Amino acid sequence: MASEVETYTDPVNLKVRELLKEVHLDYSPETTKYVHDVVSSIKEAIDQIPENLQVLADVASGFVRDIGADKVEFQFKKPKSIEIGGSYSIQCIAKPDVNIDLLLRLPKECFHEKDYLNHRYHAKRCLYLCIIKKYLNLSSSVQNVRWSTFQNEARKPILVVYPAVKLFENPGLVVRIIPTATSLFSVAKLNLERNNVRAVNQGDVLQATPKYNSSILEDMFLEDNTEFIRRTFLEWKELREALILLKVWARQRSSIYAHDCLNGSLISIIMAYLATKSGGNRINNSMNAMQILRVTLDFIANSKLWDQGLLFQPQGGHNISKEQRGTYLWSFPIVISDPFAGFNLVFRMTKNGFQELRGEAALALICIDKCKDGGFDEIFLTKIDFPAKYDCCIRLNLKGNGEVSASGFCLDDECWRSYEQKVLSLMHRGLTKRAKFVRVIWRNTTLDCNFENGLAILDREPLFIGILVSSTEEAFKKAIMGPSPENKDEALEFRNFWGDIATLRQFRDGEIAEAVVWEHKEWERHLIIKEIIEHILSRHLSLSEENICTIVDQLDFSLLHGNGDPKNLLDAFDDLSKRLRLLNDIPLKISSVQPLDSAFRLTSVFTPTPHPLAYEKGVGLKLQKFTSTCIQPLEVMIQLEGSGNWPMDDVAIEKTKSAFLLRIGESLQSNWGMTCIATENDVDVFMSGYAFRLKILHEKGLSLLKRQIGGDQAKRVLCTDKQLFLCGQHSSMINGLHGRYSIYGPVVRLAKRWVSAHLFSASLTDEAIELLVAYLFLNPLPFYAPSSRISGFLRFLRLLSEYDWAFSPLVVDINGDLTPGDKKEINEKFMLSRKGYEENMQNVNPAMFLATAYDQTSEAWTRSSPTQAELRRLMAYARSSVSLLTKLILQDQPDSYRWECIFRTPLNNYDAAILLHRDKMPYPSHLLFPSELNQGRRVVCGNASKLFNPFMLPEDIKGSLDELKNKLMVNFDPVRCFVGDLEKKFPNRFKVWYDSLGGDAIGLTWEKAIKKRERGDTCEEEKDLLDALKAVGEVGKGFVRSIHLLKAPRLS
Amino acid sequence: MTSIILFKHTHFQLSRNLLTRTANTYPLLFKEESLNSFKERKKKNKSSRQKRSRNEGDKVDSEEVHHFHMKDESDEVDRGKRKSKVLGNKKRKNEIIKETMPVEVDKLHNEWESGFDEHNVANEVEEKKRSISRKKKRKHQKLEKAEVDKVDELCNDVKDIANSKNGKSKKAHKMKKKDQLSSRKDVKLLERRGDAEEDEVYQIFAGDDDCSKGMKKWITEYHQSRPGLKILQQRIDDFITTHEAQEEEARKEREAQAAEGGWTVVVHHKGRKKTTDSESGIAVGSVAQAAVMDKMAKKKSKEVGLDFYRFQKREAQRNEIMMLQSKFEQDKKRIQQLRAARKFRPY
Repeated sequence: MASEVETYTDPVNLKVRELLKEVHLDYSPETTKYVHDVVSSIKEAIDQIPENLQVLADVASGFVRDIGADKVEFQFKKPKSIEIGGSYSIQCIAKPDVNIDLLLRLPKECFHEKDYLNHRYHAKRCLYLCIIKKYLNLSSSVQNVRWSTFQNEARKPILVVYPAVKLFENPGLVVRIIPTATSLFSVAKLNLERNNVRAVNQGDVLQATPKYNSSILEDMFLEDNTEFIRRTFLEWKELREALILLKVWARQRSSIYAHDCLNGSLISIIMAYLATKSGGNRINNSMNAMQILRVTLDFIANSKLWDQGLLFQPQGGHNISKEQRGTYLWSFPIVISDPFAGFNLVFRMTKNGFQELRGEAALALICIDKCKDGGFDEIFLTKIDFPAKYDCCIRLNLKGNGEVSASGFCLDDECWRSYEQKVLSLMHRGLTKRAKFVRVIWRNTTLDCNFENGLAILDREPLFIGILVSSTEEAFKKAIMGPSPENKDEALEFRNFWGDIATLRQFRDGEIAEAVVWEHKEWERHLIIKEIIEHILSRHLSLSEENICTIVDQLDFSLLHGNGDPKNLLDAFDDLSKRLRLLNDIPLKISSVQPLDSAFRLTSVFTPTPHPLAYEKGVGLKLQKFTSTCIQPLEVMIQLEGSGNWPMDDVAIEKTKSAFLLRIGESLQSNWGMTCIATENDVDVFMSGYAFRLKILHEKGLSLLKRQIGGDQAKRVLCTDKQLFLCGQHSSMINGLHGRYSIYGPVVRLAKRWVSAHLFSASLTDEAIELLVAYLFLNPLPFYAPSSRISGFLRFLRLLSEYDWAFSPLVVDINGDLTPGDKKEINEKFMLSRKGYEENMQNVNPAMFLATAYDQTSEAWTRSSPTQAELRRLMAYARSSVSLLTKLILQDQPDSYRWECIFRTPLNNYDAAILLHRDKMPYPSHLLFPSELNQGRRVVCGNASKLFNPFMLPEDIKGSLDELKNKLMVNFDPVRCFVGDLEKKFPNRFKVWYDSLGGDAIGLTWEKAIKKRERGDTCEEEKDLLDALKAVGEVGKGFVRSIHLLKAPRLS
Repeated sequence: MTSIILFKHTHFQLSRNLLTRTANTYPLLFKEESLNSFKERKKKNKSSRQKRSRNEGDKVDSEEVHHFHMKDESDEVDRGKRKSKVLGNKKRKNEIIKETMPVEVDKLHNEWESGFDEHNVANEVEEKKRSISRKKKRKHQKLEKAEVDKVDELCNDVKDIANSKNGKSKKAHKMKKKDQLSSRKDVKLLERRGDAEEDEVYQIFAGDDDCSKGMKKWITEYHQSRPGLKILQQRIDDFITTHEAQEEEARKEREAQAAEGGWTVVVHHKGRKKTTDSESGIAVGSVAQAAVMDKMAKKKSKEVGLDFYRFQKREAQRNEIMMLQSKFEQDKKRIQQLRAARKFRPY
């Protein structure tokens, strides 16, 4: 009991315990017995192989040919020993990857003394495995044997054995057979500076082959190192737990759990270093698992020792001289010398991989400090894959590309690794300061390789390039400046690199230099980076365009109509506010004018375009063929100078405001010729092609409200002034944020489009979406703030689907002005709102708690929607879109159609669907995809009304200007009218799902299951249902095209 | 002018009538009613796709109980059956969701947009045939309607008996083929409905002369609400005048009451002191709200702090502890929840 209390006090500790329980492999008697059985059956099968079997190269002729080995025949002898090694032996397996490593010691009799030369060892090793594979396949206890590779090194294949009998708890358990070469060769011959592959030469001088040599040395000391690790870990529970935690951390990050960076055994080696005298006992016995994790991460991220190389205290008399150390550092970017032979344990690690590792470790440390619960979720549970992490992902399809292996598959290094380096250096050179970091990974050995047939098939998987953009400003720069032409060598080099597109230019400061310039419009500048990449890749690697897949603009199709220049609009607004302030024939002066509409802060999906009829008088009128009959007004908030004469009750205040607005409108009309159109509640004025809707904020209205506070929280309706005040605050805050992150706008627009495309317009308000996206930029951990629209959009979807809405408030602190006291208050308010949770899981208000500095109780945007049920639906949709989008980025999808699917909503998820007449939508061009339905049963079909047309008809255009202006309809939206009428008429019968951005389909779900009556009454129910749907059709008469019944309500 | 008239009044009385009107101007709030069980279950499925079936079983159990507790016990027997059915449905639904995005949408698109996709050529042809027949049918219906019934367009149930058999079988076929996704039960229901009521499609006419519903109504409302500035101004003036009159009357009444008793009622005047010149109605000394607040904040509060007495301190402490305790409880609950949802599993 006591221990339980203790763990409960610290949520991090508790969560870590739970996590360990989840991933730890239980060493129960059944499991150990099972493993023992499997291993002994494998041993048995190997025992069946006849001694002195002659092995010739033709067993795996392709492999032998491709690695360029000669003289590979040998007589088969039984392995010297077969032992369990790796993570199973030190009880550090982290599920779900349950691998049991079987170290199989190759017999010395099969090898000659000089087999370390020219890949002979590698070839024989492979042939040996071929024989074992053949005999294992004969065994009945083995279901399947497949090839894999040791750390993605193609010349070192290993066998993966799938046992025939599966373990109930871990059906994925496999046994990996890894050959070792203990004391096969002389260590001295494999010295770093020696050449052991004769093909590696320049002219007649043989070059050293450090990687090749290390590759053999690794096998020779694999057993010793495993034993060393085992000794360190075996009696130390905390160390083992920390290792498991670190493995979980690393596996969640696909960019560091890779062949050129980290793997399970390397983590254990680094930890062993820190836990022994070699590493100064940085990890000691008094630490718990989380502390060890922290020390290790800190060491990886910050230690200066890496520059000198980590040296294990030599075991068994071996010592590393200073010169040797120098050679190491010269040959490899990172060095951890092993305790036995002093070879480099991390010879595969590249500088690129190591930088990535350090970056991730540093981020993890920040998460521990800054995030709630010690960053538990961010470190262990958040999957950080390529699409989510990098701003720009590029996939290179190199299948059948001869250039990769032009000079042979394996020399000192393997050709795929060299190619990675080549691509990386090209990227660095082409992108220079645009990229903060570039990562290149080619995971080219998949599980299904058949090594017998050679290595040519290893280019099937695509190569990945991930780019972190340094800043949007940098990335959007139009020109790449080269050297001055006087500097001839450099200029030539520049021209060689960029080719024809390099030109001589004079810059603004008078400097003349070589330069490459990409001309793009303001809203297309995110394409520059794509063009740079494609240009240099196709120029230097002679890749064709279809083999380079740059993920930058694939979702732009959804924002096509929002790309107007916002400058016109902002200018018009400035003019308007000037005119308003100058008005002097109204009783009170206008003290401030503030934009409210999202178009002003560039976050509306469609940037409004000037309408020819919305200009003041005297402006030349040019009507195009498709002149829209509707115009969307943009809200503008006005404040008047103070006065004590305002009435004291709401209604009178509103009426007074209207009176004021009418006066203002009249005045604008007479002074500036601006048309003013008004209803009792709204006043719209036309100016410079836009319609502005004026609103007055009356500060006293706010204090009036404060006095009335109390009563039921959820049902309270915010008064107009409060609502206006919130809008104003929100607008100015988001505006500020947009100034800080220029990519914020496009991400919000994609997010809004997605939400409405899936008919969630009624569930999630635009402001809430803006806040959610703002959160991504303000609290980006464990990532960096997104710098591209696609990564931002993906993370928005992930936030929506993964956030723990039931138990945590989402605090969006835009200007960083929430004090700890405020945060505490927010938390208390949140707890209050969740009190009802115990009684009723479904009825929590608000389901999505969004707190901001101006609205700590989350009553502004998510007070009544989304409801718990709507939120669940939203999350499910988001999850599905996340997996689709991730898949699209990672896998080959040649056509754009699959990308469109992210915005296409399946109508069969609703109980009934209403299709509308497309030519009666106010803005037909806003429609993303026309909907059709062939499912379910068509219950109603309707004709289109002739009264409304989205475009001015030719006969309309002939009238005078005033007549025409009267035909222009401000804020007329039949979809909204229809939905409003439906909700009024069927308040509890249907839930209406619609798209406010021009979708032509409306989904209906039954609000309540129909009460079951007597058995015979089903007919009547059906009739009821059909009648209701008919009534729905009637409500939308002239607008509804058809109604389809997809699912009958459940009877309950 | 209106505004100026208005300014002569410092306060209005709240009238019921007016209040309701304001209420109407607010956006309709969606009611937070508890949701129907069917939907609930569906959502559950989506959100808990990864849950293991045994967990699901438990869940369903509890949920079922939750939803059926209102019914009488005679249904007890049914319950078991239903449970298994629900489970089955769940599985099927899960599949749906996995597929919907790519697959379902796929279908729709192919058929509509790029009609000549290889996959769907067969489908397409069938589809075309069907749509042709549908069109014919529609025409047929129209004709019939025109002849038979011109007055009552709306409640016309045209039953096309000749087509019914044909339509029925087609319907069934269509269901089986396309509606694999909706549960079998639903299909059955729908089919049976098809049987019972024939395959009828209710036709709605544009109704361009009916002002009570649909497009016509919306357009009419749009234009009616914009009668022009003058008229609107007039309306507001009227409103203010009546409002004022009511106000005046109320005041007189009060005075009369006071006079009757011979007593002078001293009323406390709410609001700020004089900020307007009573004759001209011009503001004389109004201060912005923010400024006042600022000033107030600067004023040193004379109130004694809440921790003046020992019992207050103790109470505060106790509250703190209670708060912590409730947080602790909530954390515990949450962890149980997370454990159930396998939130600690990093894969």
